[in-house]
Amino acid sequence: MVSKILANRANWVWPYAIVLLVFVVMPLVMIVYYSFQDAEGQWSLHNFHKFFLSTDSLNTLIYSIGIAMITTILCILLGYPAAYFMSKKEYGLPKVMAALFILPMWINVLLRTLATVALFDFAHLPLGEGALIFGMVYNFLPFMVYPIYNTMLKMDGSLIEAAQDLGASPRKVFTEVFFPLSMPGVYSGIVMVFMPTISTFALAELLTMNNVKLFGTLIQENINAGLLGYGAALSLIVLILIGLTSFFDSEE
Amino acid sequence: MKKAFANVYIWVLMLLLYAPILLILVFSFTEAKVLGSWTGFSANLYKNLLSGEAGAALNNAIYNTVLIALVAAAVSTILGTFAAIGIHNMRHGRVRSAITFANNIPMINPDIITGISIFLLFVFLGIGRGLFCVICAHIAFCTPYVVLNVMPQLMKMNPNIYEAALDLGATPMQALRKVIIPELKSGMVSGFILAITLSVDDFAVTLFTKGSGTVETLSTYIYADARKGGLTPELRPLFSIIFIVILVLLVFYNLKTAKDTSKD
Amino acid sequence: MKKILLFSTIALFVLSNTPLATKTYAQSRDHILKVYNWADYLDLSLIDEFETWYKEQTGEDVKVRYSTFDINENMLTQIEVGHEDYDVVCPSEYIIERMLKRGLLQKIDTTDFARTHTPNWLGNVAPFVADKFQQMAPNDDDKFNLENPSLRVSDYAVGYMSGTTGFLYNTDFVEPEEVESWTALWNEKFQQKIYVKDAFRDVYSVLIQLARQDDILSGKTTRDHEASNLSDENIQAVEDILIKARPQIAGWEADFGKERMTQGKAWINLTWSGDAAWAIDEAAEVGCNLEYVVPKEGTNCWFDGWVIPIYAKNVKAASYWINFLCQSDVAIRNMDETGYVSVIGTPEVLEGMSSEEDYEDTVDASYFFGDITFPSVDEETGDTTWIDSKAAHLNHVLYPNIDVIERSILMHDTADRNEAMLEMWSHVKGNNLNWKMLTFILIVVALILLVLIDKKTRQWRKRRHRQALKLKRKNL
Repeated sequence: MVSKILANRANWVWPYAIVLLVFVVMPLVMIVYYSFQDAEGQWSLHNFHKFFLSTDSLNTLIYSIGIAMITTILCILLGYPAAYFMSKKEYGLPKVMAALFILPMWINVLLRTLATVALFDFAHLPLGEGALIFGMVYNFLPFMVYPIYNTMLKMDGSLIEAAQDLGASPRKVFTEVFFPLSMPGVYSGIVMVFMPTISTFALAELLTMNNVKLFGTLIQENINAGLLGYGAALSLIVLILIGLTSFFDSEE
Repeated sequence: MKKAFANVYIWVLMLLLYAPILLILVFSFTEAKVLGSWTGFSANLYKNLLSGEAGAALNNAIYNTVLIALVAAAVSTILGTFAAIGIHNMRHGRVRSAITFANNIPMINPDIITGISIFLLFVFLGIGRGLFCVICAHIAFCTPYVVLNVMPQLMKMNPNIYEAALDLGATPMQALRKVIIPELKSGMVSGFILAITLSVDDFAVTLFTKGSGTVETLSTYIYADARKGGLTPELRPLFSIIFIVILVLLVFYNLKTAKDTSKD
Repeated sequence: MKKILLFSTIALFVLSNTPLATKTYAQSRDHILKVYNWADYLDLSLIDEFETWYKEQTGEDVKVRYSTFDINENMLTQIEVGHEDYDVVCPSEYIIERMLKRGLLQKIDTTDFARTHTPNWLGNVAPFVADKFQQMAPNDDDKFNLENPSLRVSDYAVGYMSGTTGFLYNTDFVEPEEVESWTALWNEKFQQKIYVKDAFRDVYSVLIQLARQDDILSGKTTRDHEASNLSDENIQAVEDILIKARPQIAGWEADFGKERMTQGKAWINLTWSGDAAWAIDEAAEVGCNLEYVVPKEGTNCWFDGWVIPIYAKNVKAASYWINFLCQSDVAIRNMDETGYVSVIGTPEVLEGMSSEEDYEDTVDASYFFGDITFPSVDEETGDTTWIDSKAAHLNHVLYPNIDVIERSILMHDTADRNEAMLEMWSHVKGNNLNWKMLTFILIVVALILLVLIDKKTRQWRKRRHRQALKLKRKNL
């Protein structure tokens, strides 16, 4: 009986589904509950009113999406070639190269960001948007490189060879065969980079002296001032926004 | 020629990634409280750190950080791998989309919202916060990353080898171990490493789930530290040591595997 | 290999929850004291000393569990919503006020001191501070006060450290006259050279005194009234001041402004006296010259204080802890370790913190220590110096002169005006969206849509093609 359940691999998701239910969905219900409470604790749509009527908040959200886009695109542009070079033996890069990407992340983010600030100071570069994007790419590059790298490692070489045998030019082999095959990795990378970028705040605080406000900063500000309701509403809005976009764009 | 270009590209990228780390390393040899100021060469910070003057608090924090990271990452990897296999084999439809979206929620939410929401849940359920709560919360936000690292590998895998193994008489467990896991290994390892990274760096979630005990992690220690007196300078040698140790381990591992493959 | 991994993981998971790892909780709750304080805010060697002292006084064991927090509101959420059982906490004054109003505090229990022959040092707190604390008493229409008509705040909260808000500035680039007034924020000479503390409450408190200085000086209104009157007009007035100051403001710092000041990255920092004292010392080591001044329009006197939340489980030890910290020598040690100034106003503290060679100028600190003079004998040299609280050689950053105190207010909880204040703060900081970014986003969105449409049309065409083929085969 048990082995029959186990034989259908779709059922293997249920332990995690339960974990999701308890630690993700139920807390989400808490968030929804708080987002409908205004500062006095009464039920109201006040928080959502406030967001949609406030040009500041809307602009901050749009701006954050823009920064997230830039970061993601740069991560792809920098990370894809890196993953490619590391996955092909002929380039002769040591196998632990991939591990070296994540090593800087084990230094605590505050210390690491302060060091980035010091770096910019030494190079006489101004802090601001540019520093922020550098810091973001710096922080999220491993998250883009790893899934692409793993996908490339597992790529079926015979498909590439077949394309080459059929007379396709190297460029065509890449665009028609290799790149589409690496897409699942790129997609995972995009998800792991784009979404957290909107919600980061520590980097913006330190690398721009709080001159750049990201959506994460906005949420953090409100919670730190005790306005849990508005903070909850804001994060709910982002969730719904991303939910809607993934509804329209299925990855298959 | 192509080899040279690849090497230059990667090493330049590495240089940029490691430049801030090198700064930390260099400035761990001066006593200035502010990173970037140089008050003369001195190994005093290392002495302070190693003689335990920087406090038992730091030791406690390190111990907790490592414990939480290892346990959470290990559980996440196992849970996430099974989940990825499960999701991959589900029919496309509402249930699958719902689970996929729920999986992404911890990545979309700011850390502080994840932290507060889990805190509120535990308050509502009347469960005290503490080490167990912290580990559960960490598992909750690490597993999605494991799932996202294993999924692309699943898509590359031949869909029939599992059934083939079962047909050839393997039990599901054997089939899992000998057929599926090897295919997914690099994804699992990446997921594990990313999970450790996220757990070690996390601040907001740990803050709200640690309760009133002394579950201090490196992150909560550092953030609280930064508020009043500026970052304790002893943190620079601490992380320099961590960095060098892991770097050395990696180099050794690389040399060993290089020797092994050259022996073949 | 994998079996070992799996086994050790489960083992770790189980172990982390067994009494082995949680042996620290094996002691009964009566013998544990949970202290929740800011980081770097206590001489940590005092913890062991307290445990020994407690044993001596009461004959009982106690183990201190010391944790640190970084933000008041998050600490409050943990206690108010989560009912965390911290025994003694050190919040800022406006949070103490909020906790009092919401009935989250309980009285400090001094009744046991007589039994154990422990002196009550709580009176060491400067009367000036205790008076200021009384201003935190809930108003008439607050629920808490209706039940306790004659609330003495000092029964619930004992001060710990205090300070002021002012300008930390770099003497190499800034003349003292230029920072005499908060209007230095408008001085174009300091374009992009000013950091402002990212604390809207404190900034509001000081700048409203600038906005209303004419009315205050002519006696039409008082500072305290304007600072606690969070009307739309007042908030707008402060917003106008800040917006006019924007070209000069290089950043809104929360933690690292003082550090960057020591590196000369900015010339002026609107910050707290505690940060300033730290920065002045640190800057001296790297050859930078910083100084601190409280502008003439006014400032706020901030306090941190020890309180016992109602969810505390060891009120006795908590009360002894607070008492312990009120001793003069303990206060001096905490001051040395943290760089902040304690509210303990005994002659011993005055003597301990005075130094003619370190501080040439004198400060009238009689409001704090009372009007006292006495001789002080240097143990090493045998020399006698006269200490006069009206002209004491104290660090003026830590112990402001009496004229600073006369133009200071106590910051109150912004309660239901929090939202309005935060909105003002948002307006001032502005948002970063510009046309370049908007166009970029639209282009990317357009490209994504194009790719999606292309994919969908291909799929659609493929399906059509397959259907056509099917029909063809059917017809054959």
